[in-house]
Amino acid sequence: MTMTSSQSSHQFAQVLQDAQAAPEFLQGNSAQLPIFPLSLLSRQTESAELWNTYEKLLVSCLQSGDEKSAHLCLERLINRFGASNERVMALRGVYEEAIAKTPRDLERILQEYETTLAANPVNIPVAKRRITLLQSLSRQADAIKALVELLDFSPSDAEAWMELAELYFSAGMYDRAVFCLEEVLLIAPNAWNIHARLGEVLYISGASDTAKDNAETVELLHSSVQRFCRSIELCDDYLRGYYGLKMATNALFEKAATHTKVSAKTIKDLNDKASGALRKIVDRKDSGYNEDELAAARRLIEKS
Amino acid sequence: MLASTPKPSTLPALREQRSLLRGINLRNNHAQLSPTSFQSRRAYLTDAYKEGAFLKDPANRGKGAANPMSDPAAMEGMMGAMKGNMMMMIPQSVIMGWINAFFAGFVILKLPFPLTLRFKSMLQSGVATRDLDVRWVSSLSWYFLNLFGLQSVFIFILGNDNAASQMAQQMAQMNPNTQQMFAPGQDPDKLFQGEAENLEVIEHWSVFDGIENRLLASRS
Repeated sequence: MTMTSSQSSHQFAQVLQDAQAAPEFLQGNSAQLPIFPLSLLSRQTESAELWNTYEKLLVSCLQSGDEKSAHLCLERLINRFGASNERVMALRGVYEEAIAKTPRDLERILQEYETTLAANPVNIPVAKRRITLLQSLSRQADAIKALVELLDFSPSDAEAWMELAELYFSAGMYDRAVFCLEEVLLIAPNAWNIHARLGEVLYISGASDTAKDNAETVELLHSSVQRFCRSIELCDDYLRGYYGLKMATNALFEKAATHTKVSAKTIKDLNDKASGALRKIVDRKDSGYNEDELAAARRLIEKS
Repeated sequence: MLASTPKPSTLPALREQRSLLRGINLRNNHAQLSPTSFQSRRAYLTDAYKEGAFLKDPANRGKGAANPMSDPAAMEGMMGAMKGNMMMMIPQSVIMGWINAFFAGFVILKLPFPLTLRFKSMLQSGVATRDLDVRWVSSLSWYFLNLFGLQSVFIFILGNDNAASQMAQQMAQMNPNTQQMFAPGQDPDKLFQGEAENLEVIEHWSVFDGIENRLLASRS
């Protein structure tokens, strides 16, 4: 049920395809945009989209190992926005991290980030880069500490809350992860994937903790069921939502014969509904769902 | 040239703004939480707001709104707005003078229908004759009529945000940065107190009340 396993091979194939188109794209768009009087004559106009494309291309190229094209993208971004632009600084950090050969190099880059942040502590893109780098150096505790500091002065940043939730989750601190995901939902109330994620975390914390007394486990599982219900309500045919709903109702049914809040019949009905929906999704031809998730759903149905 | 680059905001200022935003988010989206987690968040935020924990400079608390002229950051913002206005004013007045010089003083066309005397000021600006029939239109008036009258035609032909549309320019000027939450001269402490009160009076309900039955009833 974790996120990482769902990033399957066809996503990487897409990245590779994008990156292979990079040299052509870079040639098609000349490095120098025409200056003012000529710009009226030329067909090529500057748009925010173009620079967005450069950014994405930079990342795709780095993922597929095309460092030359990546460097070209970065160079053009620096030429346009200047090396002191916050976003460009972060992108240069991405590039340097990607081409770094030894852990020593990474340490040096970390030092650079820290000097940048000392000069300007509100440079949020670089602060986030630093946190990611700390994670990849597997200094999770430092990363959590840095994220908490970042969120102290910028508590309206959904991305950072999400990251912190994942860090807490992987560290096994489920109640904190739940808190962070709730903060994300306060910023983006209708994000059904976050609702489902919260349901997953609640389910895992309810299912894993055997030491807790029964009432608390049931409480967790019940709110997990509710979260999955909400995510399905917001997005019909949401595979992860139905999958989670089925798992959570299964667990809740086992644990709580004496559960007072919801009747056993409701739980049973929800479980049946989830099974029906999953079966429908699995039977559909080329539905655009993730292959791994479909396979997992298939296994779940066969088991029941 | 005149436009200054946006000044980087400081850490405490950012914290002040975004912490207020957090309270507003909680107020708007509280239904996404379960009762217990909502209560604990509300208790934390109202306490912190009342104590002024998020204020940029807690020392100045309770002294009322600071004079906007004394805060260099606010001053910068106001000067920026003024500079923007000047940038608009100067070319406007040059163009105006140019048009006046070229178009003033002659009559350009005659309308094919009679009009009442009231239209004289609208149709005959720049021609100071009392006895002239209102059906004659002076060139300056014709220029203005076209300038304003053709706006919708331009939008129709050229698309919604074309260069000929002045509305876009005006909109851009009206709203330079929506990021600015505190207007200069406003006391952030007052805003925090107000938000704390807003949070206190929320009657909490949750989207999860009876969600199971809602989902089952929806369509199976």
